[in-house]
Amino acid sequence: MSSQSSDNRASLAHPLIAVPSHDELAEQLFVRDLKLYVMQQIEPVQGQIAQQEVKLMEKVETNSTSVLRKRMATHESFGSWLALKRESQRQLWHGVARSVERQAEALETLADIPEPKGSVRINPDFVAPAYIVRGDIHLMPGGNAHDDGSILQGAVMDRGGAVYMLGRNGGMLNDLRGQTAMAHVLTRFPDFRPARILDMGCGIGTSTVPAATCFPQAEVYGIDVGASMLRYAHARAEHLGAAVHFSQQSAESTDFEDASFDLVFSCVMFHETSQAATMAIIAESRRLLRPGGLAVHLEVPLLHDNSDPWVELSGELEAQFNNEPNWRGALTADYRALFEASGFNDVQIGYQATSAAARGGPFRFGPESEGVFRSWFVASGCPNVA
Amino acid sequence: MSRLPLPRTPHRLDPIDGARAMDEQLLAMVVGLTSEVTILRARLDAAERLLEASGVLAPGAVDGFEPDAEAEAARERQRRATVDKVFRPLREAALAELASITPSGEAA
Repeated sequence: MSSQSSDNRASLAHPLIAVPSHDELAEQLFVRDLKLYVMQQIEPVQGQIAQQEVKLMEKVETNSTSVLRKRMATHESFGSWLALKRESQRQLWHGVARSVERQAEALETLADIPEPKGSVRINPDFVAPAYIVRGDIHLMPGGNAHDDGSILQGAVMDRGGAVYMLGRNGGMLNDLRGQTAMAHVLTRFPDFRPARILDMGCGIGTSTVPAATCFPQAEVYGIDVGASMLRYAHARAEHLGAAVHFSQQSAESTDFEDASFDLVFSCVMFHETSQAATMAIIAESRRLLRPGGLAVHLEVPLLHDNSDPWVELSGELEAQFNNEPNWRGALTADYRALFEASGFNDVQIGYQATSAAARGGPFRFGPESEGVFRSWFVASGCPNVA
Repeated sequence: MSRLPLPRTPHRLDPIDGARAMDEQLLAMVVGLTSEVTILRARLDAAERLLEASGVLAPGAVDGFEPDAEAEAARERQRRATVDKVFRPLREAALAELASITPSGEAA
């Protein structure tokens, strides 16, 4: 990340990303290290306190998450851990927003693409779903659907996402999820040649561009709810040499025709929606697929384990204090049943090994998680033949 | 083009179990100050390295610097002012408690 301090944009992974000044970089690295400290030095202690509490609870024969939460709340360090964790996230967005505003003019100039290969379509009448507007996801001020007519919220999300992932997700390109989703496609069908690809919930296109790179002959589309993010995604994809057609739509119900895509995919979208929306999105994926097509939905690789109340409670706290509207729903869904009910067969559920470049593999998919960031949960299926 | 400022406060910040709002505000300020100190140190480090690279400072000049009497006195004043400023609330709170148990008319 330190190479990002240079103003030499041409040497960057893509020149549109907000480049921090000397002091802004120090500020962002501080946030990254604070997050690591909270995660590695404070959180494990809370886990140990929880273990002790669970032992005491077993004596009274209860292991419910709500009881554990009440008992944890009697420890002051529980509240200070949560407060510090949330504050680290708020500092991230605060610092990134200031840095983006400082260079807004330069970013807007860069985003003005004279002869784009792709396109962006904004719907002025679009109404963002309730799960998006109920709370700003990941505490990003203004939320995913924020739109001031500029590209700036997209720029905030891009730089913030890269800092948030602590360089674990493909550095400044933040593209390992997209690469891994495409590696899953190639693991299942090494010779797959999709003519049209759709990325649902594409955000700023971090996973859309890898799809275009992996399948250069394909026409690639990306949809999301945020206009600022989509404008930014369009400019970003152009700078990366990818022709992508972005449009502002809900993945639950798109304006594309039936059977108009060969590959429909999403990356870590379900946990930002709702249970009802997840069902609708899987059904919409089915509607959009041609015979011989494939739907791939990638999610966080966290095992749902209701035998451990601390794991349960951690998830609940993450959902509540980092505004993840469907964390629990996404981690507990029976994806096989949902896919099959929507008209998919040959459904595969498991973990795809993280790939740095889809065509380079690894083409490894199995029932066990290889750990967070080393593999991603994937559910995929083929449309039933009518 | 006129530009709107980016929003800074996220929508929906649920109260944290058992925590007082003031505790959270204090913690946020400590984090903010730690961030500022970290930035300052990075900037000072950059300044020292640039001065060394340009030959203005010899390597190790800052670490080897010994303040003379005048500089020592100036630092003394700065340190005391900093301590007074930062720990003022604790002293004020102690003084207030003292006042609350001191009979009126009796000088504290």
